[in-house]
Amino acid sequence: MKKIIYIVLAASFLTSCVVVKEYEKVNINDPDMVLSSRKANKFETSFQAYRESASGANGGKTGGGCGCN
Amino acid sequence: MKNILLITLLFTTTIIAQVQPKDSAKAYKKRVLEKMEVDFLSSYYAQDGDNAAVTGGIGTEELTDLATNIVVSIPLNDDDVLTISAEISAYTSASSSNLDPFDSGASNDDDDDDDDRNGNSKAISTTTVSPWVESSGDSKKDTWVNGNISYSHSSDDRNKIWSANLNFANEYDYTSIGFGGSHTWLFNEKNTEVGIKGNVYLDTWSPKYPTELDSYLEADQNLNNGFFSGVDILDQNGDIIDKDGINVWSPLNNTLIVDKSRNTFSASISFSQILSKNAQISLFLDLIQQDGWLASPMQRVYFGDRANYYIGNAASIDNYTSPTNRDVFQLADDIERLPDSRFKIPIGVRFNYFINEIFVARTYYRFYSDDWGITSHTAEIELPIKISDKFTLYPYYRYYTQTAADYFAPFEENVSTQEFYTSDFDLSDFDANQYGFGIKYTDIFTKLHIWKLNLKSAELKYSHYDRSTGLASDIISLGFSYVFE
Repeated sequence: MKKIIYIVLAASFLTSCVVVKEYEKVNINDPDMVLSSRKANKFETSFQAYRESASGANGGKTGGGCGCN
Repeated sequence: MKNILLITLLFTTTIIAQVQPKDSAKAYKKRVLEKMEVDFLSSYYAQDGDNAAVTGGIGTEELTDLATNIVVSIPLNDDDVLTISAEISAYTSASSSNLDPFDSGASNDDDDDDDDRNGNSKAISTTTVSPWVESSGDSKKDTWVNGNISYSHSSDDRNKIWSANLNFANEYDYTSIGFGGSHTWLFNEKNTEVGIKGNVYLDTWSPKYPTELDSYLEADQNLNNGFFSGVDILDQNGDIIDKDGINVWSPLNNTLIVDKSRNTFSASISFSQILSKNAQISLFLDLIQQDGWLASPMQRVYFGDRANYYIGNAASIDNYTSPTNRDVFQLADDIERLPDSRFKIPIGVRFNYFINEIFVARTYYRFYSDDWGITSHTAEIELPIKISDKFTLYPYYRYYTQTAADYFAPFEENVSTQEFYTSDFDLSDFDANQYGFGIKYTDIFTKLHIWKLNLKSAELKYSHYDRSTGLASDIISLGFSYVFE
């Protein structure tokens, strides 16, 4: 649990990182740099929610809506 | 847990308060979505294994699923987008078919259930009954449909986004109504993003039970009535029991589902930060509370401390757990029973790094814990390789591991004195490896078109999944994204 707290605290300091200007975001705006799961992963994520106990924390569905775990 | 919540909330409110004024200047207002977009995604999934939960932790897990999803995103004005999603998933499952392993396919009633709810005499097959044989019952196939509507609004400076959504899903034994909302703040010249999200799912079971349990209650707990009439029940030695005697089969419980509801409440916090011109990170924390009937009414449990009874060929009893058993089936002791509450905490981190013009590294890690005794770790890495200006190839690897739920034990290893029990191997201790690759075509000029749909991107992905319990699966997905002119 301490590790989780450290991660959250570390994240809070990330806001003090250097600010990248809009015109410097060419690489950040690359389609492969998107901070979410790919659209093609939608059904893959669904079967993982059925076959595994863990779900959520990926920006998507967290549970409910199906008879899955 | 309270510490995490307090720290996260404090952190969120502090950075919003500190940084927001810097972005107050009006900027050029670009439409959130220029034109209507349509996404199609289809997938084919196939799995097999030897630990079917419907037959108590042994038996074929063979299953195929064909699913399609269509998402239409409609810009209503400069700031607002309406998104409509429809999804259909059709599966065939050998293990689900064994909800009624005795189904001969020849019913003399009009009841389309697998079991004999009316208590009428129904043709019972005992020649091919086994956890390893697919039955011809209706439960071997099903269709899951899902509809979702969401509406999002962005502020003029595009630094605030709120959204609301409605969701409906239905399958033959399950109905779900869901709704939710989210709010996102961007600041630090859009280098930092914080979001909160809440969702509620109000689900209802239309329970289907293992046929012998349901039929036993329908027959007024009399083995000479209804489903059991004229059917020989065998003991462990293969001898036909006296149905009026003392040593007869009976389920542990004479009540099945009491509460048909299953509700899920989730709250999520997300945080994203651009770290440099080439790196960015995001953190996700979800808090999920589930209440109601969280066990599956379809899943049998066999206890190690109760006598075993069978229907079928006595000579195959000693060979019951072997896939070579094709003609004997053990009568269930009960359906699985699990607590009516579950609290889950998944925490995820995603880190992407732009290595150079050819390679990008996409990584993800998740820690998960719940109050059923399960903890798990998930790690993923994907390495997109730009093989041309339009094509990207991405190999992919994922590792997953989890501990078992407190209530899990394999076939015949639960005991009847327990309050909760399951033999569902999805709740067991295992690890899994998944690997595959995808290829994506992207055309920012959308030159290819069908009717008024201009192709923006196309993606094909395949992956193979191996679980240490012996379950293996393959999934292939094909998606197209179009811009509507």
